[in-house]
Amino acid sequence: MHSGILYSLGQSLREILTSLIGVPILVDLLMTIICATILLLIMATSALVFTLGERKICAFIQVRIGPNRVGPGGLLQSVADMLKLMDKEDIVPRGIDTWLWVLSPILLLVPSALIYAFFPFDDGVILADVNVGLFLLIAITSQTVLPFLMGGYSSNSKYALIGGMRTVAQMLGYEVPMVFALMGIVMITGSLKMSAIVEAQSDVWFIVLQPLAFLIYIITALVESNRPPFNIVEGESEIIAGPFTEYTGMRWALFFLAEFSNLMCIGILTTTLFLGGWHGPDFLPGFCWFWIKTFLCVLFYQWVGWTFPRARVDSMLSFGWKVLLPIALINVLLTGVGIYVYNVM
Amino acid sequence: MGTYFELDKLDLLKAQFDTAEYDAEQAEPALYIGKEQLLDLMRVLRETPTYSFDRMGMLTAVDYKDYIEMVYSLYSRRYDKWVTVKVKLDRDNPEVESMTQIWEGTNFEERETYDLMGVKFLHHPDLRRILMPDNYEAHPLRKDFVPLEPRIEGGVLTWHKQRSMS
Amino acid sequence: MAQTEKYVLNMGPQHPSTHGVLQVQVELDGENIVGAKPVMGYLHRGIEKLMESRTYVQCVPFTDRLDYVSAMNNNLGFCMAVEKLAGIEVPERAEYIRVICAELNRIASHHVFIGSLTNDLGSATGMIYAFRDREKILDLFNIICGARMTAHYIRIGGVAADAQDEFLRDTQKFIDYVPEMLDEYNKLFSGNEIFQARMKKTSIITKEMALKFGMSGPNIRASGVDYDIRKIDKYGAYGKFDFDVPLGKRGDNWDRYMIRMKEIAESAKIIQQALDNMPEGPYMAKVPKVLRPPKGDAYHRVENTRGELGFYIVSDGSTKPYRVHIRRPSFVNLQALDTMCKGMLLADAVTAFATIDPLMGEVDC
Repeated sequence: MHSGILYSLGQSLREILTSLIGVPILVDLLMTIICATILLLIMATSALVFTLGERKICAFIQVRIGPNRVGPGGLLQSVADMLKLMDKEDIVPRGIDTWLWVLSPILLLVPSALIYAFFPFDDGVILADVNVGLFLLIAITSQTVLPFLMGGYSSNSKYALIGGMRTVAQMLGYEVPMVFALMGIVMITGSLKMSAIVEAQSDVWFIVLQPLAFLIYIITALVESNRPPFNIVEGESEIIAGPFTEYTGMRWALFFLAEFSNLMCIGILTTTLFLGGWHGPDFLPGFCWFWIKTFLCVLFYQWVGWTFPRARVDSMLSFGWKVLLPIALINVLLTGVGIYVYNVM
Repeated sequence: MGTYFELDKLDLLKAQFDTAEYDAEQAEPALYIGKEQLLDLMRVLRETPTYSFDRMGMLTAVDYKDYIEMVYSLYSRRYDKWVTVKVKLDRDNPEVESMTQIWEGTNFEERETYDLMGVKFLHHPDLRRILMPDNYEAHPLRKDFVPLEPRIEGGVLTWHKQRSMS
Repeated sequence: MAQTEKYVLNMGPQHPSTHGVLQVQVELDGENIVGAKPVMGYLHRGIEKLMESRTYVQCVPFTDRLDYVSAMNNNLGFCMAVEKLAGIEVPERAEYIRVICAELNRIASHHVFIGSLTNDLGSATGMIYAFRDREKILDLFNIICGARMTAHYIRIGGVAADAQDEFLRDTQKFIDYVPEMLDEYNKLFSGNEIFQARMKKTSIITKEMALKFGMSGPNIRASGVDYDIRKIDKYGAYGKFDFDVPLGKRGDNWDRYMIRMKEIAESAKIIQQALDNMPEGPYMAKVPKVLRPPKGDAYHRVENTRGELGFYIVSDGSTKPYRVHIRRPSFVNLQALDTMCKGMLLADAVTAFATIDPLMGEVDC
């Protein structure tokens, strides 16, 4: 029923494992472990790729050259960065709430990694194609707020505290319009299943059917992933680095990793929800289309990020509540009317 | 910078204030005034419509070893005139009325003069040191200034008189 | 019943956007600012005291270190004060070269303003663009005197060396580039919605407040007070050039930004006129090798990039100044910080620091 290279690869692997082990539950477990490992690897590699990519793209926008010393054309820069971060002294500030402080970066990574299970990379290639996929996805991404607040609260630093509080305020600002914007898609698809959403876009992408929702989504996605112009939580010129002001070395690297994972995550979500996922002309396999679209989305988000100044907290919040939310609600109404008219015709 | 305040107006002021005097032989004579009458003089200079010196251009103090002299440079935007007012102060206990009562913007400059020259400004809203550390006890721009010696005592930076150099 | 409490946040002296080592004690109620007290002195080098033990000529390099992003203007202020004290006439060509250098430096300093402002607003891209163009001016300084920032080019009695043809030609090239440059800035930030939303109607200084605080420079002109010492005093060769003094209306951050953008265009206009009418002749007056100004005092003020920069010099007839006092514009302007920040958000405090444009080298002297 499914086609595509990745799916058939997975099927043949399952067959090999079945012939080797023979117990279906064990095979399922093993397959899950393999898939999860691959996803984590993708996430880690993406952080490596994006550190360099971000620097190069930022340099291109800022009429600079960017990293060019480590390796040919600066290709190994991210490796050097990683080594540097590992080498750094692990400073634990005085007067912190130790448990919360230590747990914060680790907990932040969990939701960022978890959501990769719900992404359809190709036809049939999805780790957990649950019935409430989109709902679960939004629920999990909202959890990133908590570790930020924990880090900010426990750091015994006023900058971090302000940053932590901003996360919560910001979450209230963007989450509601985002959910209502995605409602339109769910209404058209008639399902919360991620694979069904991609399947529904085999003829027309949702960017055509839901242009308003697309606009709202890209804005809220920028907010959600703390990208400029909405990097209010970090706001490096105001509150140094927000919740992770007091973190160094590998602890800070975990925040960093989560940030890039989130960046790729919003790229993937934009692709999946609005740009037809793995659909594309036949001359390339589905997963290639998926990654091409994802990278173009990421490029777009970086481009926006490096061009705009940072919005202020209050204007972002009032924009979310007073502009985005009404538009999102109108979009839901229009979609409903549209579906009714389509069905009648 | 514009033209200097006319001599006949200086004469008028001299008649009005008994401690006011100036050296008529100089091209741009500074107006000397006793420190008791300084505030009144400044009020007159600022508020009289024919003078209207609305801008305190500069404010500083000079240590002349036997006395300290406050120097005020006033500017009138309306008439494009400027005038220098000087006050001689006792070196051991320099005290003068604060100009923040007339020009609020002299706050920092007076704090600086207090910090570096040790002139006390009466009725100043917030007379604290501004450039030097709060626990520093000398006034660097005095001519007999000897730098204090920094020492860490109990984790706090403190300043002490130098032991004799020999 | 929830309990609320105000708290004090120490921004600086190590903070990404306090422009050097300024410390601001911001009293906060949530994120609303209740008060902002600047704490200075971290860069205090005692330049006034140091000058007392050096000859007049040796004092000039200290002025470079005052406001190190507009060194030429500081040189100009000090040299003119000494010339006034010693009665030295400066040749006309030197006056013209001085004006060109001072105005170029004004543009470069406004580049730093634009760059640091956009950086503080969170778009580092703006900073790179502004600093890229500033580099062109620093290269010009490199041609004329071999130094880029701490120029020490304007000397007592004239300038250190004659302006070469190469310098004049490259300056002309830069002046031709200025409109294009401003256009690019306008496209990149002035027209940006977020930028405008953050700048407009924030940190307002009214005309009365600006006069009360004794502010000067672009900051007071943004509040609508026509106070430009280049126009009022016409010192040096400034009386010979035709230029406008841009004025603001509301005195908000946006006005303070736009004033500087317009000033760049006006400076370019002045430089263009100076280049067109550059007289021939000596570039240095006859200044005695050992300069002993007569006993007395002199106060001279110039329009520095940040406002009214005044030098008060007391001479006791020896080779060294008896006392030098520097009226630093940023130092006086900083008094407005508290009023500007009150009732704003923490993010606006950063914008307020940036638009007041203090330079700690000058504030702390």
